[in-house]
Amino acid sequence: MSDELQSLDPYVQWIASEARRPVAVDPAARRRLLEAIHAEPLPRRESRALRWVLRPRAIVLPPLATAALAAGLVAFGVLGGMAINRDGRRPTDQRHAEDASSRLPVSLMPRAVKFELVAPKAARVSLVGDFNGWDTAATPMTSQGADGTWTVFVPLQPGLHTYSFVIDGTHFLADPSAPVAPDDGYGHQSSVVVVRGSAS
Amino acid sequence: MSALRRTIGPLTLLLASAASAAAQDSVLPARELDPLARLNVATRYSVEVMLDSAKMLGLPTRVLESTALEGIAKRADGRRIVTQVRLVFRSLRDARAALGLSASTDELTAAAGALRVGITNAELSYLARTRHEKQLTVPLVVLADLVTRGVPRDTASQTIFQLWQRGAADDDFLGLWRGVERDIVSGTAPGVALLNRAREIPTRGSPPAAPPAAPGARPERSENPNL
Amino acid sequence: MSSDAADVQRVLNGDVDAFARLVDRYYERCARFAVRMLGNRDDAEDALQATFLRAYRSLGKYQERDKFSAWLYRILVNQCRSIAARRNQRDRVFVREEAVLLNAPDRRPTWTGEDEEFVQRVLAELDPLLREAFLLKYVEEMSYEEMSAQTGVGVSALKMRVKRACDRLRARWERIKDE
Repeated sequence: MSDELQSLDPYVQWIASEARRPVAVDPAARRRLLEAIHAEPLPRRESRALRWVLRPRAIVLPPLATAALAAGLVAFGVLGGMAINRDGRRPTDQRHAEDASSRLPVSLMPRAVKFELVAPKAARVSLVGDFNGWDTAATPMTSQGADGTWTVFVPLQPGLHTYSFVIDGTHFLADPSAPVAPDDGYGHQSSVVVVRGSAS
Repeated sequence: MSALRRTIGPLTLLLASAASAAAQDSVLPARELDPLARLNVATRYSVEVMLDSAKMLGLPTRVLESTALEGIAKRADGRRIVTQVRLVFRSLRDARAALGLSASTDELTAAAGALRVGITNAELSYLARTRHEKQLTVPLVVLADLVTRGVPRDTASQTIFQLWQRGAADDDFLGLWRGVERDIVSGTAPGVALLNRAREIPTRGSPPAAPPAAPGARPERSENPNL
Repeated sequence: MSSDAADVQRVLNGDVDAFARLVDRYYERCARFAVRMLGNRDDAEDALQATFLRAYRSLGKYQERDKFSAWLYRILVNQCRSIAARRNQRDRVFVREEAVLLNAPDRRPTWTGEDEEFVQRVLAELDPLLREAFLLKYVEEMSYEEMSAQTGVGVSALKMRVKRACDRLRARWERIKDE
């Protein structure tokens, strides 16, 4: 059995292994079941003779039962295949609708935002953040002279952005003049900027 | 592996607007078309799972992608990245539950951050109930920052809530933040610094019982991002 | 005689607690199948309840030479089919409902892990007959012969269904990657 599993596509294997995990069981449901069992009359043994008669040699159903079963299965398939959600939309429709609502309208014009860091000893400084995929090479800053001030202007959509400076390609430094982002779990704090929308 | 277009979407927008804004030359190198490809397979599956769940739930997937990309940039190992993305995912989900469907992406992101530093769902719900068309983003960003800097959580949340209820605007919160930060740097205890600076914020509009009036016109500002 | 068959005999002799032992032995495994098949806890619990009650009532028909688990699973598979068929167009697709999110925290124990939700959703997108075949083959790890006895479908048809289920899952992954 496991040989067959291994011949599966790795993604499908992963789905199967995740599906094999136990599910959380509600103890109350189990209790209710046992209560129901206790309320039932005791099951009776089938008489030997009857059992012999009923023992199936093969799964043979009378014609009407077969048709009913087939009809039931077809209906089952069609209903399941449609997978209608509560409000009548299909899962894909619902996904798109929710996507649209998560991208709420913002002022369309991005604003040029100035970032500045005083770092006289740095050989090079760049800016990383959610606006450039945290790519350390995407937004180099330029040094404005001997006082070690590094500057860059970046067009940013109005709203909340998280960012950091990167010194010499490896050292992440939060902006001392900005609020800190909640601990990012990677061991280096980042900063937050909230860019205003265009003035009306 | 084909390109992840959902990653490309917002970046393409950025490039387009960079051209129109004629501001700078931050152009993405071509190799970044599929940044998640740098994750190992198991990590990538887990991250994709959460992105997919987020999409189904109407949660902002870009925040989760950004979390993963940040981890890659900071050279975190796969398990760390998955843990962090999961943490952010759950906080976004809880934030959605607390703030409701009308919350913007930014508010959700800020609220999720506040939850991660220990603000409770109930506190968030309270803020959401008293919103009256104002965005929660800035107060929550400031709140999370203050707690991270050492202001006791209850002090921070109570103070921010009071200011919020009294009609404080984004500028007030940012000004407050700047003052507190300065004080902490010069040695004042964080909680004390906050309470002192909070007293400087005027009450705007009507008394607390009524919804706060809209804040007055903002003065002209420079391009400083930390307005 | 297997311990399952022995417990069945005890029940038929009047020892109801012996059935509780059978339930204990199979409940979680059956629960897993029911949840994966039906996609939500409520329906799964209905299926489990109906399955074990029916098993209890028809215990007299069980024959020792059958594997008890296979016999039980035949009932379970059928109960799941009935419940799914009755379900019609109600909202039982396994997605966390917004209403649940917006209200107070869940009172019932929740599913753990986003992976589980994802897998559950992916399974729910499969045609039920394909899903059933996939689950019996790769989650319950049954032989095609056992599956045939439980579903009333021939072995080659089952093999086809399993293969199609895998193809659909594979195609799903391709779509996720490309979106």
